[in-house]
Amino acid sequence: MADRKLDLKRLMFSMASLADLGEEATSSKDLSSKMRAALYVITGMFSVPSAALFLYHPQRHYLELLVDKGQRDKALQGITMPILSEQIKRLRPNDPQTARDLAGHAFYQRNRGLWTKLQIEMFLPLFVKGEFVGAVALGRKLGGAPFRAAEKDVLRIVAHQMAITLHNARLFLDLAEKAAENKKLYTRMQRIYHDTVEAFAAAIDAKDEYTKEHSYRVASYAVAIARELGWKKQDIEGIYIAGLLHDIGKIIVDVKVIKKTETLSAPEICEIRKHPQISYDILSKIKFPWKDIGKFVLHHHERLDGTGYPNCLKEAELSDGVKILALVDAFDAMTSNRPYRDKLPLEKAFQEVMRCKGTQFDSKITNTFFRILHKELNGEIKEPQILPHLQETDMRNIKALASGLAM
Amino acid sequence: MSNFSLSSRSARDVAVLMPKGYINDMGAVSLERTSEQMLGKGMNSLIVNFSNVQYINTIGVSIFTGMVQKTLEHRSVLCFTNMKKAHRDVFEMMGLIKHVMVFADEDDALAFLKRKG
Repeated sequence: MADRKLDLKRLMFSMASLADLGEEATSSKDLSSKMRAALYVITGMFSVPSAALFLYHPQRHYLELLVDKGQRDKALQGITMPILSEQIKRLRPNDPQTARDLAGHAFYQRNRGLWTKLQIEMFLPLFVKGEFVGAVALGRKLGGAPFRAAEKDVLRIVAHQMAITLHNARLFLDLAEKAAENKKLYTRMQRIYHDTVEAFAAAIDAKDEYTKEHSYRVASYAVAIARELGWKKQDIEGIYIAGLLHDIGKIIVDVKVIKKTETLSAPEICEIRKHPQISYDILSKIKFPWKDIGKFVLHHHERLDGTGYPNCLKEAELSDGVKILALVDAFDAMTSNRPYRDKLPLEKAFQEVMRCKGTQFDSKITNTFFRILHKELNGEIKEPQILPHLQETDMRNIKALASGLAM
Repeated sequence: MSNFSLSSRSARDVAVLMPKGYINDMGAVSLERTSEQMLGKGMNSLIVNFSNVQYINTIGVSIFTGMVQKTLEHRSVLCFTNMKKAHRDVFEMMGLIKHVMVFADEDDALAFLKRKG
């Protein structure tokens, strides 16, 4: 009678333990934490002080120790047990096996050292629909009593549950591995893409030695403003590309017009004013992963008061991206030497920007530009993007100026 | 969020561990870790006071199994006090009781250890 009562208690405990195992196996924890908790449940079910859980890697033909408990050696994680396909076939799926059961088994003989080190008493190969996914290795029970028949039955149920958990975990790991590979590939392609675009920009700027690196500076300044305005990473990347390619249409403009030192004639002005449209025509054929690049480029010579080109758009019709490019393109033009004039001193360039604020340049964008400059001068920005391009001997002068203009 | 906390104190070679709440998830593993640290520091006796323990599940049993194993390896004494009947029944069924000394309360355990020297 007492034995029956104890059996019933044990059965109740096993059922509660299986519920605990299910709860841990389906939790949202990371794989390692989930498996460690599951291993604690299993060891608690049978009063086993030490155990280990292995994940099978079919391509590498080994079992890898994922988590362990109660081992004397604290550096076991990642340790492997080689196992060949034909050796897997000799294992009894989801059935507890002792060292004695596996004595003549090549897998056991090959891994005998580790088997002894881990003090494995019971080996539980985990299978899902005939596919080997891993194993649970249990040490001796506390006190050294052998596993009872009823306990082996419970172990079989545990094996099924653990096998499914491990199978799902492996699928997840495979997916994560593929995702990581794809991310790497994406990063590499993105680099190639950027390099190509930068090469294009260099080609555009190379047409005229005066505009050398103009596109790069425009892109750099535009990024600084977009970042300060809190744009998303994807959109910042978009304006960077737009900055690099905004003058691509100049490739078709006659180099004599670009390099002319005298005042341009009306037809020449007309020709040079075609470049935003040509840029747009070229870029609109490309399916960029960033939105509005074509529009940014097309309208970067528009002005708030509607006197810009090519479409005489007014403030309300211009996006922030366009307004950013309009400002930084003009600012870089002012602070660079041109065939027809020397660059303006920074003080004059700042004054010019302020003079055109509200008519040519957007107030918010202009204020943001000066705020960044002020921050860069004060060392508040880790990687300055405007300051390194400005060559000014009297930095204190710039500091005072930028400080006065920053809002 | 683990509903478990642990406090401990030690005097000479006796450490008293006072777990509180539910010993039913990995948050309670600190109990096993702390006891191992105490044994490593040379404590010959560990007392676990169960008066504030509300629930123990299989993970909890596993934690105590680990503690028992470590005290056996260190040839130390592990005492359980203030246990509820339900906890005692589980430990008995799992064969843990025979490796620990059970006392009604902490004072009894401390008195025994003092006598034992």
